[in-house]
Amino acid sequence: MFKDLNPLLHSELRLAIMSLLLSAEEADFVYIKEQTKSTAGNLSVQLDKLSSAGYIKIAKGFIGKKPNTSCKITNAGRVAFAEYVDALKSYIIPHP
Amino acid sequence: MENKQLNAKESLDLIASMIQNTQNSMERNAGVPFLIWGYTTIIISIIIWSLITITENYLWQFLWFALPAISIPTTYITNRHNTKGITTYIDKIILQVWRVFGIAGFLVSIPAFFLEGYPVLFCIILLMGMGTALTGLILKFKPCIWSGFIAMALSHLCLIYSGLNSILIFALVFLIMMVIPGHILNARAKKLSLQ
Repeated sequence: MFKDLNPLLHSELRLAIMSLLLSAEEADFVYIKEQTKSTAGNLSVQLDKLSSAGYIKIAKGFIGKKPNTSCKITNAGRVAFAEYVDALKSYIIPHP
Repeated sequence: MENKQLNAKESLDLIASMIQNTQNSMERNAGVPFLIWGYTTIIISIIIWSLITITENYLWQFLWFALPAISIPTTYITNRHNTKGITTYIDKIILQVWRVFGIAGFLVSIPAFFLEGYPVLFCIILLMGMGTALTGLILKFKPCIWSGFIAMALSHLCLIYSGLNSILIFALVFLIMMVIPGHILNARAKKLSLQ
């Protein structure tokens, strides 16, 4: 039986963001932009969506005089990601 | 990267590649703190040894306080400039390991000002060797693991040669324990980032 995939995570850029944050304590906007090869505008929109869902926390601050936006995955984000991977398995593992 | 929908295999490939990217960024600049502490320790050790040898005044030992006074802010500033945009769990664990060993190093140094013949250099090498070996084990970086254990073994030389020359042994051990693995770690990080 195929399980439903969380539509919020089942998008290339949002999934990439969540995968990056899953294995990091925190990552800043520029790093995520470089790693995902996305545009600043699109990335900003997708980060806001993930933040609104409570999957990530966004903190805006400064490093020296430079503005810095850093992102961190939340517990709810971890749970949602685990459920998403679990649902993915149902598509990969052959059913009897 | 767009907002397109992926099939199951593409999703798993994407997850794997992003996690791999994060792991590759773990070691960038990892050798810099080793080099800062290693070189500062060697330079200060040689200065103290030289000044005491020339003046025969043991008050020059207070110059050891210059070691944290120089290295802590330099490490902090360098970390800020070398920021790679990501803090991994490994970075955080290594920071905590060195906080514990740094505080332990400070605490075991205090009796040296009151007790004559207290083997402070032996204690410091032993502690820093443990910190280095642990860092190597966390990073899965053999040169650090080996240099940490070699330093622990060599720490006994500071008990055998307990006079002024133990300061030179201290400097030599820091060369083996921090400077050499620091350069190897940086070279490996450079190679990884070029890939």
